[in-house]
Amino acid sequence: MLEQLITGFGMAFRVDTFLMMSAGLFAGMLVGALPGFTTLLAMAILLPISFFLDPIVGIPFLLGVYKGGIFGGSIPAILVSMPGTGAAVATSRDGYKLTKQGKSRKALDMALCSSVFGDTVSDFFTMLMIFPIAFLVMQFGPPELFAVLLLSLVIIAVTSGNSPIKCLVMMLFGLWLSFIGTDPLGGVERFTFGLFDLRSGIPLLPMLIGLFAIPEIANVVMKSSKVQQLSAVTGERMTFGEFRRCFKTICRSTVIGTCVGIVPGLGQVVAAMMGYSAAKNASDHPETFGEGELEGIAAAEAANNAVNGPTMVPLLTLGIPGDNVTAILLGAFVAQGLRPGPQLFEEQGATVFAILVAMVFANLLFLVIGYLSIPFFSRIVQIKTSILVPVVLMFAFAGTFVFRSDNFDLLMLVAFGVFGLIAKAGKFDVMPMVMGFILGSPLEYAFGQTMAMGNGALLEFMFQERLGAISVLLSIPVIGYLLWRRLGRAPA
Amino acid sequence: MFSSTLKKLALASGLAMAALGTAAYADYPERPITMVIPFGPGGSHDLNARVITSIIPTYLEQAMIVRLTPGAGGQIGTQEVANANPDGYTLLFTHNYTDMLTQYVENLPYDPMEDFIPIARVNAAPIGVVVRADSPYETFEDLVAAAAADPGGLRMAHSGNWGALFVPAAQIMQSHDVVMNLVPYQGGGPAMQALLSGDADVTMGFPATLGSLIDAGEIRILATAGEERMFDDIPTLTEVGVVGDVGDMHRVLMAPAGTPDEVVETLTAAFRELVNDTSFTRMMGRLGESIELIEGDEYQAMREQQAVAYEALVNSLTGQ
Repeated sequence: MLEQLITGFGMAFRVDTFLMMSAGLFAGMLVGALPGFTTLLAMAILLPISFFLDPIVGIPFLLGVYKGGIFGGSIPAILVSMPGTGAAVATSRDGYKLTKQGKSRKALDMALCSSVFGDTVSDFFTMLMIFPIAFLVMQFGPPELFAVLLLSLVIIAVTSGNSPIKCLVMMLFGLWLSFIGTDPLGGVERFTFGLFDLRSGIPLLPMLIGLFAIPEIANVVMKSSKVQQLSAVTGERMTFGEFRRCFKTICRSTVIGTCVGIVPGLGQVVAAMMGYSAAKNASDHPETFGEGELEGIAAAEAANNAVNGPTMVPLLTLGIPGDNVTAILLGAFVAQGLRPGPQLFEEQGATVFAILVAMVFANLLFLVIGYLSIPFFSRIVQIKTSILVPVVLMFAFAGTFVFRSDNFDLLMLVAFGVFGLIAKAGKFDVMPMVMGFILGSPLEYAFGQTMAMGNGALLEFMFQERLGAISVLLSIPVIGYLLWRRLGRAPA
Repeated sequence: MFSSTLKKLALASGLAMAALGTAAYADYPERPITMVIPFGPGGSHDLNARVITSIIPTYLEQAMIVRLTPGAGGQIGTQEVANANPDGYTLLFTHNYTDMLTQYVENLPYDPMEDFIPIARVNAAPIGVVVRADSPYETFEDLVAAAAADPGGLRMAHSGNWGALFVPAAQIMQSHDVVMNLVPYQGGGPAMQALLSGDADVTMGFPATLGSLIDAGEIRILATAGEERMFDDIPTLTEVGVVGDVGDMHRVLMAPAGTPDEVVETLTAAFRELVNDTSFTRMMGRLGESIELIEGDEYQAMREQQAVAYEALVNSLTGQ
């Protein structure tokens, strides 16, 4: 294995690999920064290019698009409070506050450095521990996923705002919203009022843009016509001292993100929120979180990037794609004549290690590309408000529309924008609602699967086969109570 | 000589006059064609479409652009094409289950038979019945016997109700009069993972994409779809008593009904050339996909048979 690793190292050192990786990173970053264009879509569109390239060039190119895209999503989240994906929601909370304080550069630097750190460490960990991780992945079925999702929701509810009751109300509302549309298991229509547009449920993107961006735009417009700029300065770069201050948080989030990545079906959204909650819980000044805390960005970004390493494991060891991103990568692999699966390491060990090594290089390369392009991006906030606001508003609508070219989504955008304004006036935090909405569908699905597995006899099945899931479920009230005591009643 | 040139000119202008009636479509395609896929990114349709659309411009002399429009089990994208102008610039790339089965389980805002005509079935992915290598079920008969002995006791992992794995499983249940516990997963990947982890006893999978797991001795295939055996020692579904068009996922390109014949002919001709293109065959071969072109008229007959079979299947399963 060591021999293959060394051969792989040699194979990955190629000029064309580095060039295509840079191109992929840059393309991914641009696409990720545009609301409405998902990283997934960018990968799907660019996939055919990789068909015609050497495996050690084509696959790192796609990985570059992927990594660039995740960071790209945090750019509008930080600068104009417009998170394009659920994974960027936690980042936008402190990031936008920092932008308003004139510290957008620091925020972007921190997002970049913690992303790269989380990703690199989890990639290394994955390389070394690939077979133990593969074993762990197999221990999670629908009952376990249900238990872990429920635990995550409870943690988010009690730690995200100052009033746990308000958070719980918003989360339950979010959960209810996720039930609208066709029931994913039984095919029954729920709360659709016979509207065809609601059959596929409420789309996420209009909700995110509506809830987070529209109220902020309205805020800038209403506050004063004399305010010339969102922020006159982009501020200084992040200092090494600031990075060191957050280093403990970054490490903690990296561990959390890696663990979340091992559980199939959990994903980046949960990782970011858990990393954020844990950092807030461990901090001796939890009240600064949500008010422009650099550590909050570090916590969320390190965690959501650390998910990437372990999610590759089922693909590499079994040839099974766990989600759509890995499904596209599977396509890229097989089109190159590489068959991911149990024998991939025996047959093509050196090539696979070359790809994994290239992944690590991609991270380092990204640090450079990102660092050089941040000054350019952060300058956006210096644009005059009278120009910036209409442009941002246009992007909000255009981004919502390009997602699937549906007029109905624009109505949703406006509705959620109004809702966001009302919630803000009533001091209700919309984040638990979004989390309830995002996690509601997988939660319901996992529950339905568990029911189906037990053939309806739920308790019997759980006690006979699933004691692990039961123990997680039983721990939820205890963990919830402890966190509530520590954070829920902390002074605002 | 002069007169012959004149004659030619006259002839040409006459032809041009005659062609005027259809001039609107004579130059088709004049702009890029949109191929709507009613599913999300990263699925096997997406992969197939990426290969098709990267090569077919050679024969159409226009780009073909993939637009993914997922939602409501394929209904959103399908409806979009049903409502599109039947000018050949908006096409649908779908499969037989979404195309012909959904109408019996959902109240659709379109009529698949009335609103669409098939252009080309590009290929079919034959499915296999898969168990773990350490499973007690050595043959298809063992599996059926176990399912008969313990109705609902066997867990069968599938990729969603009325999907590509669910339907053949239901057809097996229907033809052998047994009941399995059909547990849904969010895609074929997670369903295969459930089989390997022991959460499920049996699943369905496309053997062409499972080579690595088969070679590694992780899984065993009990039967495969299609008319001919895929593996010398493994029977087809027909041989074990599941007859009909069972277990093939047909990938098919459709156009809205009312699309002019010239346009259909241009598209069909392009697909005829596509399936013989060497880089197309090489790439599809690597993806483990077959290439078996069936043209519109012939596939239309298959659709009609599918409709009858699926209606009977849905009625028997939902007990109507």
